[in-house]
Amino acid sequence: MITAGARQTQKAATRQKVLAAARELFATQGYEAATVRQIALIAGVSVGTVFNAFPSKAEILSEVMKERLEGLYSELDRVLPLLRGSTTDRLRSMFAFLFAFETRHVHLFLAHIALAFDWTLSAGATPYGRNLHLQALILECLEKGVSAGDVDPQADLRGVVDLLLAAFAWTFRLAAWEGAGADAMISVMDQQIGVICRGFQSRA
Amino acid sequence: MKHVSPKDVTHEGRVKGPTRRALAKQQTRGKVLAAARELFSERGYEGATIRDIASAAGMSTGAVFANFSDKSDLFREIMMNDLAQLADEMRDAASRARNVEDALLRLFSTGYTFFRQQMPLARAAISVSWNPEDGDRFRKVTQVLEIQQLMLEQLTAAVERGELGQEAEVKLRAQMLYDAYVCNFAFAIFDGWSLEALQSRSRDQIRIILAGARRG
Repeated sequence: MITAGARQTQKAATRQKVLAAARELFATQGYEAATVRQIALIAGVSVGTVFNAFPSKAEILSEVMKERLEGLYSELDRVLPLLRGSTTDRLRSMFAFLFAFETRHVHLFLAHIALAFDWTLSAGATPYGRNLHLQALILECLEKGVSAGDVDPQADLRGVVDLLLAAFAWTFRLAAWEGAGADAMISVMDQQIGVICRGFQSRA
Repeated sequence: MKHVSPKDVTHEGRVKGPTRRALAKQQTRGKVLAAARELFSERGYEGATIRDIASAAGMSTGAVFANFSDKSDLFREIMMNDLAQLADEMRDAASRARNVEDALLRLFSTGYTFFRQQMPLARAAISVSWNPEDGDRFRKVTQVLEIQQLMLEQLTAAVERGELGQEAEVKLRAQMLYDAYVCNFAFAIFDGWSLEALQSRSRDQIRIILAGARRG
C-alpha cells in the first residue's frame, strides 16, 4: 500500500526530474525549440506525467528560473554586507555580480521576461519583475546609503529601484541582440547607475 | 532650356485610382487586422493563432497568409498604425511644454493615456519586444524608434536652450527615459495603477535622470 506521504515524496521526485530535464534542454536548445515531449523523454516519464506536474511549458520555465534566481539572490544576501564604498560603488558591484551570473543564460532570461507579459502563466507562477527578493536587496543597498549620508533621504527610493531594474533589463537586450559580453554589459550598466546616482545624491 | 523635373511628369495610368482588385485586397487586410487586434487583446500574442484570426475574420488561413507573411508581421502592422498615431499625439503634447521636465512628462502621460483603453494590447506588445526570436525586429520598427527619438529631441533642445549642460550625455539619458517609460506599463498592467499614480512615479524618475545634467 502506498501511503499519502510516499505519494507526496514521489510527486516531488517527479517534479525534480522534470525540472532537471528542462534545465538541460533549455540550456542546449533554448526555450522556444524545446518541446514538452523531449522534456518527458529525458526525464524518463510520460508526457501526461509532465502535464500533471506543470500545466504548461511556460510554467516549467517559470519554476526553473525561480529556483536558479533564488540561489543567486541568496548568494547576494551573503555578499551584500561585505561590499564597501559609496552607494554608487556598491550598486555597481551588485549589478556586475548579477550580469556575470546571468550572461550564460541571456536567451532564457529574455524568454522569461517575455512570458511575464503574456497570458499563459497561471496565478501560482513567479514571472520576471514579480520577484520581491531582488527588489528588497536593491532597496536595502539604497537605505544603507541613506544612513551613510550619501543618499538624499527625500529621494523616492521605490522609483529608484524601478529605474535600476529597467536599466538592468534593457542592458540584457543589448547583450542578446548585439552580442555584447558580460564586460560590455557591466560597462553600460555602470554608466546608467552613474546617471541615476547623481539624481539622488544628498546635497550636503 | 527649362528642365522638367520628374515630379512634373504625369503618368496617366496612375491617376485612375486603385483597381477593384486592389480595393478588395485592402478590405481583406482591414478585416484580418480588426480580427487580429481583438484576439491579441483577448488572448495575448502567444495565445492567438493565425487559424483563430482567420476564422474570426471569416476567411481561410490561406487568405490570411496571402496578405501577411506570419503572425509577427500581422502584429507589427497593428502596432505600427497605433504607434504612428501615438507619436503624433506625443509630438503635439510636447510642443506645449514649459520646460524639459514638463515635456518629458507629457510624452510619458500621452503614452499611458493612449493605451489606457487597450492595456492588453500594450501587454502583448511588451511581450513580443522581449521575445528572443521576434523581439529584435519589433524593437527596430520605425515607429518605436520615433518615440525614442522624441525623447532625445527634448533633451537636445534643452541643451540648446541652456536648461541642461553641454555634457548632458543626452543619448544615454534618452535611452534610460524610454526604458523607464516602458517598464512603468507593468504597474498599469499588473497592479492597476491609475494615470495619476503613473504620472507621479514618472515625474520622480524624470527628475532623477535629469538631476545630474542640470546647469548650475
